[in-house]
Amino acid sequence: MTEARLTRSRSFSARIAREVLGAWGARIGLAWIALLVLVAVFAPFIATSHPWLLSEGGTIRSPVLTHLTTGDLMLLCAFFSVLVLWRLRLRFYRKAVMLLAVIAISGVAGSLWLKPPQIVIYEQYREAMAAGHYDWVIHAPVPYSPKDYLRDVGATGLKGPLESAQHHHWMGTEENGADVMSRMIHASRIALGIGFVATGIAMVIGVIIGGLMGYFSGIADIIGMRLVEIFEAIPSLFLLLTFVAFFGRSLYIMMVIIGLTSWPGYARYVRAEYLKLRKQDYVQAAVASGIPLTSVLFRHILPNGVAPILVAASFGVASAILAEAILSFLGLGLVDDPSWGQMLSQAVKSSTFNWWMAMFPGGAIFLTVLSYNLIGEAMRDAIDPYLRKSG
Amino acid sequence: MLLEVRNLKTYLDSNDGTVKAVDDVSFSIAQGETYCLVGESGSGKSVTALSIIQLLPRDIAHHPSGEVMFDYRHDDGRRERVDLLRMSSGVRRNVRGGRIGMIFQEPMTSLNPVFTVGDQLIEVLRIHYPNMSAVEARERAIDALEQVRIPHPGQRIDDYPHQLSGGQRQRVMIAMAMACEPDLLIADEPTTALDVTVQRDILRLMRELQERRGTSILFITHDFGVVAAMADRVGVMRYGKIVEEGAVDELLTAPSHPYTRQLLAALPENLQRTRGAEVIPLPGSRSPEPLLAIDDLKVHFPIRKGLFRRVVDHVRAVDGVSLEVNPGQIVALVGESGCGKTTLGRAVLRLEEPTGGTVRFNGETVTGLPPKALKPFRRDMQIIFQDPMSSLNPRLSIATTLIEPMKVHGIGADMDERVARAEDVLRQVQLDPASLWRYPHEFSGGQRQRIGIARALVLDPRFIVCDEVTSALDVSVQAEILEILLKLRDEHGLSMLFITHDIGVVEYLSDETAVMSEGRIVECGPTPKVCGSPSHPYTQKLLAAVPRIKQQLTG
Repeated sequence: MTEARLTRSRSFSARIAREVLGAWGARIGLAWIALLVLVAVFAPFIATSHPWLLSEGGTIRSPVLTHLTTGDLMLLCAFFSVLVLWRLRLRFYRKAVMLLAVIAISGVAGSLWLKPPQIVIYEQYREAMAAGHYDWVIHAPVPYSPKDYLRDVGATGLKGPLESAQHHHWMGTEENGADVMSRMIHASRIALGIGFVATGIAMVIGVIIGGLMGYFSGIADIIGMRLVEIFEAIPSLFLLLTFVAFFGRSLYIMMVIIGLTSWPGYARYVRAEYLKLRKQDYVQAAVASGIPLTSVLFRHILPNGVAPILVAASFGVASAILAEAILSFLGLGLVDDPSWGQMLSQAVKSSTFNWWMAMFPGGAIFLTVLSYNLIGEAMRDAIDPYLRKSG
Repeated sequence: MLLEVRNLKTYLDSNDGTVKAVDDVSFSIAQGETYCLVGESGSGKSVTALSIIQLLPRDIAHHPSGEVMFDYRHDDGRRERVDLLRMSSGVRRNVRGGRIGMIFQEPMTSLNPVFTVGDQLIEVLRIHYPNMSAVEARERAIDALEQVRIPHPGQRIDDYPHQLSGGQRQRVMIAMAMACEPDLLIADEPTTALDVTVQRDILRLMRELQERRGTSILFITHDFGVVAAMADRVGVMRYGKIVEEGAVDELLTAPSHPYTRQLLAALPENLQRTRGAEVIPLPGSRSPEPLLAIDDLKVHFPIRKGLFRRVVDHVRAVDGVSLEVNPGQIVALVGESGCGKTTLGRAVLRLEEPTGGTVRFNGETVTGLPPKALKPFRRDMQIIFQDPMSSLNPRLSIATTLIEPMKVHGIGADMDERVARAEDVLRQVQLDPASLWRYPHEFSGGQRQRIGIARALVLDPRFIVCDEVTSALDVSVQAEILEILLKLRDEHGLSMLFITHDIGVVEYLSDETAVMSEGRIVECGPTPKVCGSPSHPYTQKLLAAVPRIKQQLTG
């Protein structure tokens, strides 16, 4: 007791955040993820064949905005509302509700008012420009859409970076002539999306089942643990292959299946935390005050046991990204939309070795998975009482 | 003088700056003398002891000034004065364990669970006597265990620590500390974690060993009863300084420093005298219908064994307890650790599911009700916990902790009204209403315990279970908390079941006392009768073991 006062206690979450940010590995990881998020959110502006602004015979219009889809709008709204909500001093669950509301409103608004053209002709701008129809044009930094195969240019497939003189392809082109950098940028959306959504699904299921198991223990625990063991025995990759074979290729099915098969790990962590915390005096006091069960479970216990779950989640995001990359590499990913794994498989299928086709997507997968692992490791070190420095 | 501490300063570096844990402390201990350092938590008494034996982590602790002169006895019997702060590493190793033994507070963690008791004893012996053979070392280890009166030392030497009781483990610690016949024994709160009867035996054992060997003892404690039983001379510490020093009987009977006087006045046995006349017998305390009636309550925990987890036996934590609490009455439940008193308190509130028997509150049966039907009772029956560190949710502000129960039970029409009520309750427990917007880690132990009381009070209950509410607190804080509880009883007519192991607190606070042992109540009656003329042999043993200042000094 005598030494207890020598170190003044600090807010737990603030201390964890400080220690995680103090680790250089986590800093690099966070920086890379932040870059990816920026690129993913603004992908339709960064890499697109549609000019930002153009003046045609005196009238100024913005093809980028007319081609914006509802999904793009929702992502942008979510991004900016997260930035704003971060600064506000509100309860976490209130922030979450507001964020969901913003996403829903932007989704409805987008589907009502945004009418992107069904058939997209990428060549029209280049042809119109060559014909001198435009007074002036402002292009995107990467002026190629991921599915712009440059049919007007001809014989553009498999050019290395900066090989062709008139068209600057920073990372070269793939076999159909599409710009690799543009495809990389748009693929980051899939990588991040699958990581977050699949892990989110797994966490929600894991927290609910694990929490009930740990809190009630006894018979609930026995049944829950058997369920956990059954789900742990399912080989998720083979299940994914089967589903893709039967139901076609859909990103959403992939997310859901990865989520549904990876919750047992979270459930185990949550169960252990709840077993430990449910006998804490403050939980007992909450029960003794007649506070309803949901509040006891999710308001009084969960915030105290969330730390190890977050650590597991950061590793989980990495493995979800890998799972999608593996599927796409095997040719079972999305057909049309680019993803890093699918780009890698393109590199392998080609008869000659085109280094830019393998280097860039492979490097991106490597960096992203490494980043999440570095963040997860830093969080684990910050939380683990045995690794903490004395004093 | 065996040990002379002169102007010792120990500064500890923490993230928030330097803490002057020990600030200019001087004292000395003669051969065969027991010197007690007494003080409240954070006064620097433990750091003083750790500085003497140089066990503080070197990267955060440093000594800007001071010397600790020790009469170092060489292996060949030569004596030399050495400064323990500046000795060579060879001497330091020999001094630690060989010349100065140390006993820590927590017997559960100070023995290594993966080695037998004998292994740990023999290792100490062979380090300090390299020439000793294995057989000889084992014999000496058995002998050492016999010295501390462990029954059948020849067999117990091969036991692992978990096979011994808490008291026996502390005996083994003493045996280890005394095995090399040190000149000085440093005991840091050696009996704080033990029951009073075990404490009495351990203290007696230490005195005997001291008389036989002429060992000096530096005894660190917060308990003046223990001081009176053990010390020759006493130093009272506060904020890293010794504020008063003197022979034990002088210091305890005629303290000169105001802080010592304040500490002594805060002892429950002294509170009794000043408050005794003020406690007014409550009108209607003998009402025909008790507020809480426990009848033959049983809580059994199954012991499961084997492949199919079959129930082979039960731990009978509470085994047929009947007890009544009248409105406005404080009933004390006394017993040693493991007697089931905490389980009983929790079973009354249905935090632990009773195996048998009934609990009736205000004439209605509480046991067997489904959780939904319990809700009205939750409002009337509340609990306050022992450990102020774990009884408040670290992630919720005090406001949330206090207001959520009110919301659930529909107290107060809107948020403003509830906040006003929460502020009012905080004032009742003598806290600043602005504390509402802070988090538990910003408060001291005593303040947190007040918040714990406030949480119980916001629902305006009629009955509160107080589970060892003052055990983790310093005496002065304890006195304040007890006063708050008494005031609440007088103003609101609250009834309490006060669970404790501290007889002094019982005598001061309670109207009735129930003594519990091994899941049963062995004696129950008005407090003056139970504590004054106990009839059951267990109660007599328990009361006789309590170290009291007056008794120790006169007898």
